[in-house]
Amino acid sequence: MTGTEDPTNDEMLVQTDVSEGLSASESSPKRDAGTVISSNDINVWYGDDHALTDISMEIPENSVTAMIGPSGCGKSTFLRCINRMNDLIDVARVEGDLTLRGKNVYDNDVDPVALRRRVGMVFQKPNPFPKSIYENVIYGLKIQGIEGDYDEIVEKSLKRAALWDEVKDRLHESGLDLSGGQQQRLCIARAIAPDPEVLLMDEPASALDPVATSQIEDLVEELAEDYTVVIVTHNMQQAARISDKTAVFLTGGELVEFDDTQKIFENPESQRVEDYITGKFG
Amino acid sequence: MATDTESGYAEGFGQVSRTVGTVFRYLLLAATMFGIVTLAVLLVYVANDAIQPLTADAGWHLTFFLTLVVPTTLVGGYLYRRNTDALKLGSTVVGMLAVAVLFSGGVAIVFVDIIPPLTGFSYAVGLVIPAALTVILTKYERQISFTPRVAATGAAFFLSLFGVPGYLHSIPELVQKAPVVPSDWVILALVLGGVAALVVGQYIARIREDATAGLIAGVAALVVTGLAALLGPLLGYDSNSFVVVTAVAVVPTATYAGGAALTRKRERIGLLLAGTVIVGSLVGAAAVDLLGFAGPQSWVNWQFLTNPHSSSAERAGLYPAIGGSILLMVTVAALSFPTGVGAAVYLEEYAPDNRFTRFIDVNISNLAGVPSVVYGLLGLGVFVTYLGQATGTVIIGGATLALLILPIVIISSREAIRAVPQDMRQASYGMGATRWQTVKNVVLPEAFPGILTGTILALGRAIGETAPLIMIGAPNVLFSLPTELTSKVSAMPLQVYAWSTLFASEDFYTKAVPAGVVVLLVVLLAMNSIAIVLRNKFESES
Repeated sequence: MTGTEDPTNDEMLVQTDVSEGLSASESSPKRDAGTVISSNDINVWYGDDHALTDISMEIPENSVTAMIGPSGCGKSTFLRCINRMNDLIDVARVEGDLTLRGKNVYDNDVDPVALRRRVGMVFQKPNPFPKSIYENVIYGLKIQGIEGDYDEIVEKSLKRAALWDEVKDRLHESGLDLSGGQQQRLCIARAIAPDPEVLLMDEPASALDPVATSQIEDLVEELAEDYTVVIVTHNMQQAARISDKTAVFLTGGELVEFDDTQKIFENPESQRVEDYITGKFG
Repeated sequence: MATDTESGYAEGFGQVSRTVGTVFRYLLLAATMFGIVTLAVLLVYVANDAIQPLTADAGWHLTFFLTLVVPTTLVGGYLYRRNTDALKLGSTVVGMLAVAVLFSGGVAIVFVDIIPPLTGFSYAVGLVIPAALTVILTKYERQISFTPRVAATGAAFFLSLFGVPGYLHSIPELVQKAPVVPSDWVILALVLGGVAALVVGQYIARIREDATAGLIAGVAALVVTGLAALLGPLLGYDSNSFVVVTAVAVVPTATYAGGAALTRKRERIGLLLAGTVIVGSLVGAAAVDLLGFAGPQSWVNWQFLTNPHSSSAERAGLYPAIGGSILLMVTVAALSFPTGVGAAVYLEEYAPDNRFTRFIDVNISNLAGVPSVVYGLLGLGVFVTYLGQATGTVIIGGATLALLILPIVIISSREAIRAVPQDMRQASYGMGATRWQTVKNVVLPEAFPGILTGTILALGRAIGETAPLIMIGAPNVLFSLPTELTSKVSAMPLQVYAWSTLFASEDFYTKAVPAGVVVLLVVLLAMNSIAIVLRNKFESES
């Protein structure tokens, strides 16, 4: 069902045609590259509400790590811990260690703005700026003061986001004139233009139709060639199809199981995870 | 049996009494209409007194009825049935022309009478040179760090505008002392025509997506302005006013209409309406002139608009008050806009949610309701008594009125900033933008139309204020335009108030007062219409 036809990315065709998910065996060599993000007993409170309890996991490099679980289980909250977006919420409080390449991002000397420049993020709802497509893509470059041939970077980023062919003739039209799926790919192009190390995706396909969803899924698999992708999703099939590792969060903000995707979906250790995956719960 | 039941049901529905609801509905309607109708009656009464339409010959009315009213109604009715968007376009062009002509009057007062064109020109040159330097410096943004860049820019502006006393002449001084200076109309044509050409060129280049077309349009705008200057004396008027009206009103309106004709194929038939109104007015005016019909003995006439106060109601005019109001508005806008928007940005984007912020919140809302006379007292106390300024000057009046509308500007700007979707801020922060970058690149551009609308409506409140100006000792009557920030100022409502009290007589009541009220209301409506157009544009875009 995926089978990308995008001619601009031929060299990736082989990888992305692994269509029915469960690509754990192929991605195992990549995991040897090491751990990028490692969390150790992360706890998050929103006011008095304990949103995440003792989350510990290690996210491997150049792979797709999916987070699944019922609504309100804290998977988005955990994603926002990684680039400290929770700092923007007055009542949020985070405790514990979360390291990015060995550096604890909650250390006092870490500037969250600098952190976010290394960790790109794509949101649930497509949120392009009311600027032209071109301006949207170079936004990160401009604010981060990155120099270079912007035309080339725009082309490269849009090609990577599989959007170039659709918009190359109207780069200076508003990003809001695009369809929902195109807007989301524009947001992905915007996120990867400054070349971050990690790409966080918060249910990037939940507001899209099936066709656009499958385009985004193809894209995520391709991006995992170069980036460490952490994706939150409601859709278990999606997680099974595109991810190498899966973390299952269940109600109460706890991480119940974290393992290779294949293992989670075929032979989970926890009964609760099995119930959730088979649809008996959640 | 079955039929019995059916008919029984049918009868059983009966009637539910809606009398109370109907009464309630019409009471609400009456409440809605009460204020509007009373105001409308008053306005008709005042307008009748001021313009005296019944004093015109019947032939005058008939001529304009035939040349203007009938064709406009026909064309308007046709468009209304066929194509309402075209009707909207047509009426926008007519409205734009009217507002722009009024606006050009204001520009003429400020840049011809208050600031002599040469002085204005010299300062424009003094500003353009360091501004160009700033633009060049931004190109090297990455090589030169922030502090030296800001220091160099600041120094450039300071040296250019003030020079070094005794050693180095400032640029305005140099320009004013130049051996050969161009005459006033040349300066006006260059500066106003240049600004118009820039705007027109950019607009055309954008809609045609063709830089050459923009260049041609810009040059054409400049040439038209120059031609207007030559045409003025031929028709027996002075060049200056022709230049101002052309550059500020005619060229922009024509560009807008031309742009619409080129890009909006379905709606361009609406321009027919604008053409009918303009041609109808011109033909009507020419016809009554030719046939010798006398127009109405309106008190709102050229003399009323250009004369100062006089002890005889016939010769009394509003000119210094109009100029004073314009100067006050410029001062108020310059003072309240940056302060108000700054406060709004702080409160919405930076302030933590704590007791202090909530305390400020509540107090700003309360300040918006404080009577204006109290602000007058504040202005008198702070600026006159404490800071020792002279009473009733432009700067004192402007500062007092700015304080008066500051809470309104803050509140409406906060509304506009709050309306920017949270998603966009998240996207910006997620890209690693700092708070300042997010505010500058995302929040302010999105909120700007809303902020501008709120500010214009607030200025509309300031322009009608009398009490604070009386409190700070602004003179009721002024015989010449204020030319500096420290000269005494009067304002339109103050002048009207003076006519209705100090010079109270039958003549002033029936002539000068209604005429003054009409002028004040027209200016107010023009300002509000700009705000409404901006808001509609904003709403249709988002």
